[in-house]
Amino acid sequence: MTTESIRNNPLKRITAVFRGRRKVLDPHKTSLGRTGYRRLQYATLTGLALLAIISLHTGRLDISSEEIRSILWSAGTGIPLDSELLSKSLVFFQVRLPRCILAILVGMGLSASGAVYQALFRNPLVSPDILGVAAGCTFGAALAMVIPGSSFALVRIFAFIFGLAAVFSALGIAKAVGVKPILILVLAGMVVTSFFNAFVMILKYMADPYNQLPAIVFWTMGSFSRAAWKDVHTLFPLVGLGLVVIVMLRYRLNVLSLGDMQAKSLGINPTMYRVVLILISSLIVALTVATCGQVCWIGLIIPHIARTLVGPNHKQMLPITITLGGLFMLLADDIARSITAAELPISIVTSLIGAPLFAFLLYKNRGSGWI
Amino acid sequence: MSLSCQGLHFYYGQHHALKDISFEVKDACFCALLGRNGSGKTTLLHCMNGILKPSSGTLRLDGVDITRASAQEIARNVSMVPQERSEMFPFDVLDVVVMGRTPFLKMYESPSQLDYTMAKKALAMVGAEKLAPRNFNRISGGERQLALVARALVQDPSTLLLDEPTNHLDFKNQYLLLNQIKTLCRKRGTRVVTSMHDPNMATLFADRVILLKYGRIVAQGTVTDIMTEEHLSDLYETELKKIDIGTGRSVFLPASVTT
Repeated sequence: MTTESIRNNPLKRITAVFRGRRKVLDPHKTSLGRTGYRRLQYATLTGLALLAIISLHTGRLDISSEEIRSILWSAGTGIPLDSELLSKSLVFFQVRLPRCILAILVGMGLSASGAVYQALFRNPLVSPDILGVAAGCTFGAALAMVIPGSSFALVRIFAFIFGLAAVFSALGIAKAVGVKPILILVLAGMVVTSFFNAFVMILKYMADPYNQLPAIVFWTMGSFSRAAWKDVHTLFPLVGLGLVVIVMLRYRLNVLSLGDMQAKSLGINPTMYRVVLILISSLIVALTVATCGQVCWIGLIIPHIARTLVGPNHKQMLPITITLGGLFMLLADDIARSITAAELPISIVTSLIGAPLFAFLLYKNRGSGWI
Repeated sequence: MSLSCQGLHFYYGQHHALKDISFEVKDACFCALLGRNGSGKTTLLHCMNGILKPSSGTLRLDGVDITRASAQEIARNVSMVPQERSEMFPFDVLDVVVMGRTPFLKMYESPSQLDYTMAKKALAMVGAEKLAPRNFNRISGGERQLALVARALVQDPSTLLLDEPTNHLDFKNQYLLLNQIKTLCRKRGTRVVTSMHDPNMATLFADRVILLKYGRIVAQGTVTDIMTEEHLSDLYETELKKIDIGTGRSVFLPASVTT
């Protein structure tokens, strides 16, 4: 088996990486060849499509492939269904399909934001929570939950507003300090996170322990169980637009990851790009967290996996990150809703898979010179 | 056409780092900046590259005011080989070199096949074509230096700024690199401004020399005028002797080992 064939075959490469043989087959190069990248992209896209089909079959109500076919056929032709299929059709169109699309969107959005944050902060161990988005969202959601007579719509609006407010406070603090922008942003993020967490604790302490407190706790663990078409209608255009902008600017991420001084001498205004990209990715994170609660680990680990597979060049790494993010989120949601009779919160699943996988990746990447 | 600096001052907060700097670098001129640690060499280079904004004074490149130009405009004309390098993602060396094409790309563009060809040529110019597929974080300090010089060359600059380019390089590569830069300077008329620690290197390669002491220019001019025992002994605050080594060349060495 030649080195070239291993390098260009995504499956062989994945096994080589995970069996720790990458050094043997390719001692110096971290990036994937052009052919290898294309094949990997096809493989992940196919995987995502297959998983989406499987997800549509998964759930408490048994819907077979034949039934799905006749549901789709009737939707296309307008031929009425019998009463049993009609209820299954309702579950299929009103529950499973939007949930599946939403999970993919959230996974893609969170992992792309993670990749952007890691490039901007020049650190592969950064997650999109670093500027306090998640803490702000949690505070907003918790606040809306304890306000008397509030609705779930208000929970989402508050989560979104406070998530962005947290990021703006961190950016504001960093601007006021003015020196060493990257370091100060990280520290400002810690300040903001801690501050909002304190307020969340106050709210938890004061919340009614039978209704409000469990609601707050459940929300912080995330779930797609409330997924509906109107969420898809909000998220699809906004997250989609954010992803398009990030993908278009992805080559600039390489240059920005060299640090402000080198970025500037290569003709890029680092401050402008940093603010724009932070705002776009924070918007995506706030939207997703406001829709489905907190989802741990996706934003941290997916870019990491993508980088392990195709190398650090964002030109290739970012598209792979996005497809893998959708794939992984969908898989986690499938597990969350099928492993037990009652549905598990999504963060339990993502953390249980993500944390050990991350430890494994740290171990595997120890020779690459950046850990 | 020239790079000219008039009455430039720079403050780091309260610290007056550059005081009333004025000089001019003409086309095809190799200009060496000499001075002790902390004399302001790097600060001056950063001002010329637009990384730092001078507190006062003018800095013009072919008549364009550098202090007001955009980063992209500057990067299309001036390229810089930095002295301190921070950790980065494990990019391939070729990917690092091709980033020198960034100022010529549109906001949403990535480097084309042509850009990659240019990057390979630039690596060949510094004698490092074999480094192309290697992991930038896993090569030696000197090899990184060569790769960064190649990146600066890919920018196809009219002015090339180098911050102690011979750091980390072995004895042969020091001469090889400066020779290449000198050739570039002659053939393409590139203006070269480089900070240096070795006065003998400056004597060998430079056309003009600027001596910086405590942020002030103490002397500037041609190599023959400036590279004298008096000037250098004053600059380094150490007594230096000029020793003739035949074939019309001479070197500077400290008069005694203890100071």
